[in-house]
Amino acid sequence: MSEILKVSGLSKSFPGVKALSNVNISLRGGEVQALLGENGAGKSTLIKLLTGVYQTQEGGIFLDGELVSFGSPLEATKAGIGVVHQERNLIPYFTVAENIVLQDQPKRYGLIDVAKRRARAQEALDSLGLAIDPDEIVQNLSVAQMQLVEIAKALATDTRVLLLDEPTASISGSEATKLFRVVAALKAQGTAVLFVSHKLEEVFEVCDTVTVLRDGESVIESSPLSGYSQSEIVAAMVGRTLADRVKRIRTVQPGEPVLELKNVDTAIGHKGISLSVRAGEVLGLYGLVGAGRSELMRSVLGLHAIVSGEILLRGKPVKIRDVRDALHKHRIGYVTENRKEEGLFLEFSINRNIAVTVWRRLQGLLGIVREHKETEVSERFVDRLGIRISSVTQLAGNLSGGNQQKVSLAKWLAADTEIIIIDEPTVGIDVRTKANFHELIMDLADQGMAVVLISSDLAEMVSIADRIMVMRDYQFVGELANSKEYSDVSTGVMEAIQSGSRWSS
Amino acid sequence: MKFLAKRVRTTEFSLTVLFVVGFVALAVTSGGVLLSGQSIRSFLTYLAIPILIGLAQMVVLAVGQLNLAVGAMGGAAAAVMAQMMVVWDAPIWVALLSGFLVATLMGAVNGLLVVTTGLNGFIITLGTLTILEGVQFALVRSFTIDGYPAAVKAFGKIEYLNIPSVFMAAVVTAVVLAWFFRTNVVARKILATGANPLAARLSGVSNPLSVFLAHTLSGALIGIAAIVTITSLGGINRSIGGDWLLSSFAAPIIAGVLMSGGVVAVYGTVMAAGVIRLVDIARAQYSLDPSVVNFTIGTVVLSTVALSEWRRRRSEIRRQKYVEVDSE
Repeated sequence: MSEILKVSGLSKSFPGVKALSNVNISLRGGEVQALLGENGAGKSTLIKLLTGVYQTQEGGIFLDGELVSFGSPLEATKAGIGVVHQERNLIPYFTVAENIVLQDQPKRYGLIDVAKRRARAQEALDSLGLAIDPDEIVQNLSVAQMQLVEIAKALATDTRVLLLDEPTASISGSEATKLFRVVAALKAQGTAVLFVSHKLEEVFEVCDTVTVLRDGESVIESSPLSGYSQSEIVAAMVGRTLADRVKRIRTVQPGEPVLELKNVDTAIGHKGISLSVRAGEVLGLYGLVGAGRSELMRSVLGLHAIVSGEILLRGKPVKIRDVRDALHKHRIGYVTENRKEEGLFLEFSINRNIAVTVWRRLQGLLGIVREHKETEVSERFVDRLGIRISSVTQLAGNLSGGNQQKVSLAKWLAADTEIIIIDEPTVGIDVRTKANFHELIMDLADQGMAVVLISSDLAEMVSIADRIMVMRDYQFVGELANSKEYSDVSTGVMEAIQSGSRWSS
Repeated sequence: MKFLAKRVRTTEFSLTVLFVVGFVALAVTSGGVLLSGQSIRSFLTYLAIPILIGLAQMVVLAVGQLNLAVGAMGGAAAAVMAQMMVVWDAPIWVALLSGFLVATLMGAVNGLLVVTTGLNGFIITLGTLTILEGVQFALVRSFTIDGYPAAVKAFGKIEYLNIPSVFMAAVVTAVVLAWFFRTNVVARKILATGANPLAARLSGVSNPLSVFLAHTLSGALIGIAAIVTITSLGGINRSIGGDWLLSSFAAPIIAGVLMSGGVVAVYGTVMAAGVIRLVDIARAQYSLDPSVVNFTIGTVVLSTVALSEWRRRRSEIRRQKYVEVDSE
């Protein structure tokens, strides 16, 4: 079949970051193409450009050979690009039929034509072979059924290109099989499908071709999937991002572990997790997105329940109820991966953002905190971390990503923590600041902190960690000492991921 | 100069100018009557309540909640005090202290219900509003209780240089509250919860505690408002507090306090209450229809909200530009 969608030389910049650079894609009718890439590789930016949420800056999107430019998501829909987002976009109290035709209600005499609406919805459901009652209220459906209804909705408006953004992220295996049948039916009908997923085995099951994004560039461009093995795809995804990185070999002093997990199971699905970190050590938790690394550490902080096993701090078993407990009683800090949503108070000054963890210590009589004391603390860490600002009274929201991340880290250092968990520290940060941040993390370990680093950036992992534990499906599947030789370590890590795969041959 | 320019652009400054201009205009057009001792006294006496209830609403807005029961709590607390003095012959100070504590307790109950049920403050305070209106009615029925000791009313009449005691009480409360929000660690945690509950939780701040304390503080401020009411009015009946709700929201919102939380503006709320009071005076002076007052306040609220939204967007745009320069 002929080419329907073509993306040529597409680039997109945001203040401080180049999100996409010269991306090329070619998608034909009846083809299912995988779009792969790690967090921050540019997948969501690309999807937003294709669906009219963002406007193109450089390069072009062509539909049937014609250059198109979408001012809004509605224009993209009208042009024939349908999308099923990761998060549900159905109205729960409406019926299936009402949801399916929501964007284009059939009308008669200015009123909604109920019979026609039902017929049109039924038609959309039938074409996908779905046995779902169009009069059912969406709220009563299972998550997988909702997903299928969303596909039906996307197809109800003459869709030529369908974008599926992680469609199986929240559904079970058997439900996924049903979804894949629908995808196969679409393929037979000549629809072009762009399939975004983090689950490689399903990609190999469903897709014909593949595009891999890394650091905003397309490193594999619409090539037949049969030409690659799983590990080649993973290697392309994680790649080597910091070509000219400085190798810094550290030696960790032997000693007792500061933080230890023994056979821990969590309420959200971790099984038999054991790990330990010593003072002065950087323990890297590596895994593909969704492997359960952040969730594990958030469980340690008391944000999810631990159902069995034990946590030992400095050799003693403890129960950590919440972050307050972790911070004030156990001196554990957590630098979140979502700095804007969870890490910072964007409307507060840098001062307050850093001092929030030490108010307790700074307070005097009647709980009074003097501003000059806050300033003293924050200026010390602004200097130490090299945060570039004009004054600590500036609002945190006005800083660039890299500086925001440093402020988010500074508050934990100010709190004098001994154990610090750093989650995806350099997502959305430019390359130079990245290197600076890596040095910083190693400096912290040199000063005797125990660091747990979560990162999906393998090059970053190899640069910083002393020891790498590989996680997959909420379990550890391997552990290796980091020689800081990229090729050796990456091979080891890939093997660990592969060996933990249910699909490995 | 830059410092000055920064001050001039604030909502507080605009409100101060608005208040002064409005006051002068009314004073001039009244032929100076507004400047008489009697007028000043009554102007300030009836300004105390709007200030206090505005602040009571402000502290719950700070955690991103709201308190619909402001008037009902004040009315019920006032009824309790009147009842204690008249029916049970309780000493004045015992009655007034009890009224204050009862209001604080009602705030604490609101906070506790919000935190434990996880329901929105709107629903909880709508519930307590209805219950407390019932309590107030049960206590005073359709009578006006005015048989309490003359000393109580005399306190409301005390003045110094035409500044009535109740107004001073409101100003002192505002000053203490401003100081609290400027310096206190608890206040900072309350604001952190309002500004970003996710970040607050991950920084070791207890959001439930912040919400509970904000509601309790709101109750305490309403307690002071109830004491002011009983000392400055001739008697307590079922209508006390009935008209507090709108103005309790109007003052802080005009002052730029966000419904989403994280911001307080004590001075602004006081000035906004003053501006609202001027509208009331203007109505009396020009014999305007009472609906004019509501119309004016409503318009002012909407336009200030629109103005602050416009400011926010403009600063967002500036922020984008700043970041671009920064990353070079």
